Amino acid sequence: MLYYTLKRLALAALVALTVSFISFGLLYLSSDPAIAMAGETASDADIEAIRQLYGFDRPILVQYFDWLQRAAAGDLGKSYYFRTDVSALIGERLPTTMTLGVCAITFAILLSVPLGVAAAIRPNSLVDRIALFLSVMGQALPSFWFALMLIVFLSVSLRLLPTSGSDTWLHFVMPTVVLGYYAAPAIMRLTRTGMLEVLSTDYIRTARAKGLRPPVVLFKHALRNAIIPVVSLAAVQFGFMLGGSIVVETIFALHGAGFLAWESITRNDLPTVQGLILVFSLFYIVLTFFADLINAWLDPRIRIK
Amino acid sequence: MVVNKHFSKLLVGALLAAGASTAAHAGKSNDTLNVAIDRELESIDNYYNTAREGIVISRMVWDGLLYRDPKTNKYLPNLATAYNWVDSKTLQFDLRKGVKFHNGEKFDADDVVFTLNYLGDPANGAKPARNVNWWNNAEKLGEYKVQLNLKKEFPAALEFLSGPLVMYPNDYYSKNGPEGMALKPVGTGPYQVTSVEPGKRYKFKKYDGYHASSPKGKASIGNIVIRTIAESNTQLAELFSGGIDWIWKVKPDQAERIKSQGAFTVKNSSTMRIGYLNFDAMGRHSKNPMNDVRVRRAIAHSIDREGIVKALVQGESIVVNSLCFPSQFGCTQDVPTYDYNPEKAKKLLAEAGYPNGFETPFLAYRNRDYAEAMINNLNAVGIKAKLEYLKYAAFRDKVQSGGAPFNFGTWGSYSINDVSAITSHFQSGGKDDYSKDPEVIKQLGIGDTSVDANVRQSAYKAALSRISGEAFMFPLWSYNTWYAFSKDVDFNPTPDEIPRFFTAKWM
Amino acid sequence: MSSGSTVTTTVTKASIYTRFTGHQGVMIGAFIVLAIVLVALLAPLLAPHDPYQQNLLARLIPPVWDSRGSWDHVLGTDHLGRDYLSRLIYGARISLLIGFGAALISGLIGTVMGVMAGYFGGRVDMVVTFLITVRLSMPVVLVALAVVAIVGGSLQVVITVLGLLLWDRFAVVMRSSTLQIRSMDYVAAAQAVGCSTKRILMTEIMPNVVNNLIVIATLEMAHAIILEAALSFLGLGVQPPLPSWGLMVSEGKDMMLFEAWLITIPGVALFLLVLAINLMGDGVRDITAPENRN
Repeated sequence: MLYYTLKRLALAALVALTVSFISFGLLYLSSDPAIAMAGETASDADIEAIRQLYGFDRPILVQYFDWLQRAAAGDLGKSYYFRTDVSALIGERLPTTMTLGVCAITFAILLSVPLGVAAAIRPNSLVDRIALFLSVMGQALPSFWFALMLIVFLSVSLRLLPTSGSDTWLHFVMPTVVLGYYAAPAIMRLTRTGMLEVLSTDYIRTARAKGLRPPVVLFKHALRNAIIPVVSLAAVQFGFMLGGSIVVETIFALHGAGFLAWESITRNDLPTVQGLILVFSLFYIVLTFFADLINAWLDPRIRIK
Repeated sequence: MVVNKHFSKLLVGALLAAGASTAAHAGKSNDTLNVAIDRELESIDNYYNTAREGIVISRMVWDGLLYRDPKTNKYLPNLATAYNWVDSKTLQFDLRKGVKFHNGEKFDADDVVFTLNYLGDPANGAKPARNVNWWNNAEKLGEYKVQLNLKKEFPAALEFLSGPLVMYPNDYYSKNGPEGMALKPVGTGPYQVTSVEPGKRYKFKKYDGYHASSPKGKASIGNIVIRTIAESNTQLAELFSGGIDWIWKVKPDQAERIKSQGAFTVKNSSTMRIGYLNFDAMGRHSKNPMNDVRVRRAIAHSIDREGIVKALVQGESIVVNSLCFPSQFGCTQDVPTYDYNPEKAKKLLAEAGYPNGFETPFLAYRNRDYAEAMINNLNAVGIKAKLEYLKYAAFRDKVQSGGAPFNFGTWGSYSINDVSAITSHFQSGGKDDYSKDPEVIKQLGIGDTSVDANVRQSAYKAALSRISGEAFMFPLWSYNTWYAFSKDVDFNPTPDEIPRFFTAKWM
Repeated sequence: MSSGSTVTTTVTKASIYTRFTGHQGVMIGAFIVLAIVLVALLAPLLAPHDPYQQNLLARLIPPVWDSRGSWDHVLGTDHLGRDYLSRLIYGARISLLIGFGAALISGLIGTVMGVMAGYFGGRVDMVVTFLITVRLSMPVVLVALAVVAIVGGSLQVVITVLGLLLWDRFAVVMRSSTLQIRSMDYVAAAQAVGCSTKRILMTEIMPNVVNNLIVIATLEMAHAIILEAALSFLGLGVQPPLPSWGLMVSEGKDMMLFEAWLITIPGVALFLLVLAINLMGDGVRDITAPENRN
């Protein structure tokens, strides 16, 4: 187990390095940060001065290693726009996105696991059809449309919920529904498949044959086994959500990391964008790392492989 | 899916329901004006942000030595009671006594000298540089008397001192710096800041100790909250549901519908921003058709500016013929003009050797619909313009580094009512200049440095005439801003596009 | 995530045919997709007006069912006075092109990587698995947005970026499918008689993974079309005046609270297309490998 853990750790570090290298290269090769920093009225000499001051004239590899060195110490540089530390900026915005992410994944699981189980118990029944329909809808409805429709009906028309902002938990209801709805189909389908598979296995048949009550079979035996891949899928979906909440945060005026990322992109604020990419990918890597460890702990065959 | 017809009905129903209950707006009942803006501000320190919303906040929180009345354009005394040109490069001010900053600090010559010398030091990086790079230093002549020593003759000095240059408290600022000022701003203005959530929300309270003699007048509305909501549909939904009382930059078609509903006050005001086409006349980007004056004139004749203004730009906008906004000092419309005449355009193109037109990239960063309408006009005379629609930062980078043979831009002159803030910016040989014409550069130089109004006017006229005659740049139209707000609010927009909330009242 | 697929059991052509025609989802999906493809192909014949012809004096005319509408413009006109029906018809081309182009690029990348990893195993597999992990760890939406924002959106850029973005699922599924087929007896037999690697890949492996490939391709096609709409919402989609459905939605969104039909019409078209493609994909999977519905 220790050997396996170390191996996975080394791999995770390598992945993080590669991700940061690729994104750094893409960002810094495709635009000139000096022009963006110098501002509207700067002369060519001003731009050259900034280029030298910040070392943009050095080879991209040298710049990357310089960035990496400081990033390793927790210093992600200064935002061109806010002129504050990127790490402080991200630290300020991340809690909103995290709250939203946790709510959304919880909502997605609460919506999709029961549906998936119900669909698996009676394949091709009405419940199964409804579940399938909902999941296909989730894939085909543009999220901004869904979000704006919710606003029109729930806040403008019925006045049930506040439209935008993040002051109270009520503000998180609509964003949670929108973001969670898009994670639900994948989880629902996996639950359904998992349940179908487990229900057809020998030991469930045995359990049934032994005369155990159906609910016991279903929840004690089947669901417990079917849920394992769902948990790691949920972890993956959670990681995606953090990066994918841009549209939702923009519409509901939640000042989280997704909105910050999008605004920073439009402002050419490269250090902030680069910092956010690093944080998001680290998040994903850590989540999958733990998911792998849990799986390995549950299933010894993986450890040996 | 709900059938479309039902859907529209439901939406209209939603809006009507919202309209009927505007009385439920939170704003008036708790004396708080809720305002939405569409962007995050980098800082609300006046000298470290360049956003228009930053200027709006600056007028609320701080005061300048002078104040330009937005109606009469006269320079009125504010923190200074009088000014006096000792010579063309020396300006003296008598300061007002008895003024206190929000934190209780006394206002006197030390604050003025500190502020101006701090800004004048390039090491401090105050933005934008053009606002603060025209004086050598400020001197204290007495507790309430200061002198400003200019680098060279600078005719727009009073314009700057009555707008963007506001006075900071020397003790507080030297202790807390830009970071402190951004989080807990302190000024002498009609509103004081009670809370700052950077980029997200700012809260203001009426400053009871505001000096009574100010031309801005005491504020009437007790509290103001400014929030960032990026999505325009969300802003509208907030307005309809009563969460927000005041929005601006409403799209013309939206404004028309809100107006016809009658539940909100909708107002329009012309702004100093104008749109323009910029051509690569000197071949800075490449050898291309734009190098030929006949092609540039052909393009000018091909654009139906009147039609676009009427159908799309709407409001108080007008077609402009010279590269400036009519109210700006030195601006004249007495320059060569180009009527909408596709036949003439085709003839000019044929003369220039492009009887079948040509293909060209066409860069733009805002008003995609205007750009598309112009592309349609160009198409009609055979020019295939391929739109490259970029975010502003990317657009500016590409234009300033010489990467754009043909672009559609706009310029708001920082609300400076002087031609030097626009024509000189584009045509004095700088990074935005794609013609670098020696004659234009010379005339603008004369206009920018003379203090004689007549000399300036005739130099600017010469420059503007040549720019239009040679079609180095083609001015399009002025812009306008739509405001929509609760019927409880008495608010009047001004042409400089700086909403003055301190003059707003509850109905 | 992974769909650990098995080789499809051999079924006769006739039984596949009856399975397809008997499957409601596939039939409905196929019918809609076919209709949209036909509309796209016959656009010049079907469109009543030139989709690019502006008329600033006839802007925002509502569809015929509204009291303000007329039969002259059945679905009304957009903010520049262009006929909405004609733009919708031509938009089918662009939206299909985006879905097809993106699925093609990502399919190529993903299949080559997945099949190579599954067939050769060892180092190749390690490298491919690593690349998949990197791709999954990278918040690609962010990176893509950043690059498109700097470069500027266009049809080619959008297709390329989406193509480079969506290959991971192809690679994962192709890898595991190939891995399973590789261990089959007949592959070992082919190797034993000395067939070339190229021949084995083309004649033994590919035909057996193609069902999975089709399923993933349809799903990713739908995914690409919906992502383009999101890119357009953020102002980074195809460049006007090209009429993609995503762009039409984003152009109409400022008026959505007042003239809902502006985004409802292209929105419904988009929804139907994506729904139909998904129904087809799901159906193909149900029929060829019912155990892998996830």
